[in-house]
Amino acid sequence: MNKLSLGDKIASSNLNHWVDPSFTDLPAESFSLPGRSKVSCSKAEPKRARKRKGEDSRRDPATSYLQKEPGQRDQDEPWVNRYMPCSQAELAVHKKKIEEVENWIRVHTNSSKGGILLLTGPSGCGKTTTVQLLSQELGFRIQEWINPTNLEPYSSSQDEWRMNGFSCSTQLAQFQEFLLRANKYCCLRMTDDDGATEGKLILVEDLPNQFYRQPGRLHDNLRHFVKTSRSPLVFIVSDSLSGDCSSRFLFPREIQEELVISTISFNPVAPTMMIKVLTRISTLEAGKSCGRMSVPEKGVLEMLCMGSSGDIRSAINSLQFFSLPDTSLEKELWRMKKDRPVISVGKVVSRTNQRKNKSKHTKEQEEEQEQAIGVKDASLFLFRALGKILHCKRGNHEAAEGVPAPALSSHLAHHHRKTLLVEPEFVVERSHMSGEFFNLYLHQNYLDFFSEVEDVARASEYLSDADLLTSDWTSRSTMEEYGSSVATRGLLHSNCQQISVGFRPLHKPSWLLVSKKHRENCLAAQSLFRSFCLTPVSLQTELLPYLAKLTSPMRNQAQIAFIQDVGQMSLRSFSIRLKLEALTDKEPGPLVTDAEEEQESARRWRLYHTVEHNVYCFEVTVLQV
Amino acid sequence: MSLWVDKYRPTALGKLDFHKEQAAQLRNLVQCGDFPHLLVYGPSGAGKKTRIMCLLRELYGAGVEKLRIEHQTIVAPSKKKIEINTIASNYHLEVNPSDAGNQDRVVIQELIKTVAQSQQIQSSTQREFKVVLLTEVDRLTKDAQHALRRTMEKYMSTCRLILCSTSTSRVIGPIRSRCLAIRVPLPSTEEVCGVLTSVCKKEGLTLPPELAKQISEKSGRNLRKALLMCEACRVQQYPFSVDQEVPVTDWEVYLRETANAIVSQQSPQRLLEVRARLYELLTHCIPPEIIMKGLVTELLSNCDGQLKTEVAHMAAYYEHRLQLGNKAIYHLEAFTAKFMAIYKKFMEDGLDAMMF
Repeated sequence: MNKLSLGDKIASSNLNHWVDPSFTDLPAESFSLPGRSKVSCSKAEPKRARKRKGEDSRRDPATSYLQKEPGQRDQDEPWVNRYMPCSQAELAVHKKKIEEVENWIRVHTNSSKGGILLLTGPSGCGKTTTVQLLSQELGFRIQEWINPTNLEPYSSSQDEWRMNGFSCSTQLAQFQEFLLRANKYCCLRMTDDDGATEGKLILVEDLPNQFYRQPGRLHDNLRHFVKTSRSPLVFIVSDSLSGDCSSRFLFPREIQEELVISTISFNPVAPTMMIKVLTRISTLEAGKSCGRMSVPEKGVLEMLCMGSSGDIRSAINSLQFFSLPDTSLEKELWRMKKDRPVISVGKVVSRTNQRKNKSKHTKEQEEEQEQAIGVKDASLFLFRALGKILHCKRGNHEAAEGVPAPALSSHLAHHHRKTLLVEPEFVVERSHMSGEFFNLYLHQNYLDFFSEVEDVARASEYLSDADLLTSDWTSRSTMEEYGSSVATRGLLHSNCQQISVGFRPLHKPSWLLVSKKHRENCLAAQSLFRSFCLTPVSLQTELLPYLAKLTSPMRNQAQIAFIQDVGQMSLRSFSIRLKLEALTDKEPGPLVTDAEEEQESARRWRLYHTVEHNVYCFEVTVLQV
Repeated sequence: MSLWVDKYRPTALGKLDFHKEQAAQLRNLVQCGDFPHLLVYGPSGAGKKTRIMCLLRELYGAGVEKLRIEHQTIVAPSKKKIEINTIASNYHLEVNPSDAGNQDRVVIQELIKTVAQSQQIQSSTQREFKVVLLTEVDRLTKDAQHALRRTMEKYMSTCRLILCSTSTSRVIGPIRSRCLAIRVPLPSTEEVCGVLTSVCKKEGLTLPPELAKQISEKSGRNLRKALLMCEACRVQQYPFSVDQEVPVTDWEVYLRETANAIVSQQSPQRLLEVRARLYELLTHCIPPEIIMKGLVTELLSNCDGQLKTEVAHMAAYYEHRLQLGNKAIYHLEAFTAKFMAIYKKFMEDGLDAMMF
């Protein structure tokens, strides 16, 4: 009945179209009952309507724009919505990706048994749009979950809620209910549907907050869903680089395997594709404005494209902002840039022709200018950041413009290296990791990229230096950057053979695990064998290994187990107990607090002043005085 | 059945097997009725602890052997709770303050204060002081050592400290000057042999003198290790044979294999394997310093004269960094890589010299 009422509303809104057309552009939520959006087919509806409009305009752009010209509302509408892609060709996603999603949807809508699909990718790479477009093309409905705001007073429809038996239920319960219902019941056929509602797809983009705190409950819900599923369920989760990777957190690998969740991850929009889209939009826009606005130059589009780092939404937004009649500032900026012919011309040329050989210098300038437009913080996934350091890309020739660096004198000539293509500090900064962790990752992986032992010796010394710099916890926060700088630059410098190794898998550092185990085992040893009254060192290096060789009765099971585990070492087999954990390309680094490490370092360096303590005591005395 | 090490540990100063003059001196010291703070130092396995326990028994009688293990919780001024294990009798308290990490200062102050503030009830029949035995004093933080200095003076009337450490180099001067330092050197090979033979006799076994000699040499005169080895020999084979192989600990074998791996090939791939082996050693509770030391010893035996100085120099350099630094693996690996580079160069030079 809920659906019915919604359907009514939609119908009535359509009927009322002539009364106040600008309302059609309001987001769908205003039609669906807020907080009760269990059945929010409506969300997809207006979008589709809007898209259809777009389609019309595409068929006959000149006329349609003329027709729509007086529409004041178009001015206010974000271009992102207005130029929503309406065919696969317009979608700024790689064809293969679309195909992949399409296949999945086809397979899972046709079979009566649904499945779960997880779409990941950075924000603004077209995940949602792809799904919506496909739904339109394949002719199925999207039923989307939108977090209800349940703090509102009872509305007119409260009777229904009473009857349904949950007048004031939590988001979680509602979500569960939503899944159940969406799964169980077909959508009602609406009058304005073009008869193309064969299948249905449940879309969840907006998860109840509680799931972030207790992912287990989501998993329970999903398990339940999988058992009875009839329609496909699609989750869309944006990757974020700042570490709190929600897709990994909400959908850990075990769960993905258990529930047979297929994952398709989207890449950031490729620059060429983005340029294409931006050009299309600006051409249409310029045509529409009847000469008031000219098509922005290619350079501008490229600049916008660079700045958005693959986020098409933000690129279009900034294009709109750029094209506003009175954004003289931006234009000024562009003009300024153009007035420096050497650089800009050189840059455009270098970008188009010799993208690879782009010199560091111009790149830096570009980046500065991007920031002036202020679009988006570019960031790197850890995998790429590590690759940038480890693969050690250097320019093929000397710095293109400007004075060449003074040649090193003969006795230092072996220190000469070609220009770096990357700025190590910049890479570390963009990887969103602490320098210390970044060093650990480098340390785990650098050996694969070296061919000479001499180079390795130098590189490892730099890493050791870096560790030394950050050893003192009182100055660690300041020294960390220097440490990572020493490590990254040291690695780059010492890798002078520069073999091209091709693809190498990267691994997560095993040191964290090793040091944790070392600590745990030491503590366990002390607590289990306390009665021997030995110092830790002699306990670990003398007593335990020999106890493993003796048959003297141990006191309890735990001791026996521990001795077998720690006292003995597998000598014959070269087996290594530590399994290397491969680092996948989209995985953010861990954000482990370093507290334990600090404790460890303080322990290891016994002759240490506990400054923290002194300060505390001092404060206490001051207070008492 | 307990280990031979524990079973045949002498309990009286008179029964000690070696350094008998020192034992006599200690007895004289105690018989005067009072004694200063003691700093007992010497290498591991020389019998420091045994000697101290004998001394305490001489002082208080058999009561000190009734030990109880206690788990104490101390609240630091920063409201942080520190948990520490102590071993105590009615007359003494043994604690390893370095268990508390960098909070050891609080442990020292609090524990000694509680011990020292409780007076003995019958001072006529008993000693009027208790003894606090601190082990691993050389691993104390500097802060704690300064705190210890004050505490030593303050509670001199009711409390005596016995400090136990492997070397005095990391004990600050003021503490060293407040204590009577007693060095317990390692027993000689003959003395170790004697102890081994007598222990075997008590067990009803006959130990061939050659094997005893072999064990004492293999153990590096570390008596604890020697006894453990001897017991392991017994498990391995009895009756003993003269040319029996003395069992060595797994980790030492593993370390030797690691060193061989380093010497046999020098390449980044080999270094990766060595790293995995180092990790393995670390997870088996072998402290990084010991790994370093063992590695250097094994590597040096593969080097020639000229190379030896260079390697030893490098080892000292990285050992120092190991102490200063935070993550041991960086420094262990840097040392290995450096050794590989030097060794490779040395071998190549040698090869060139041979060719021409």
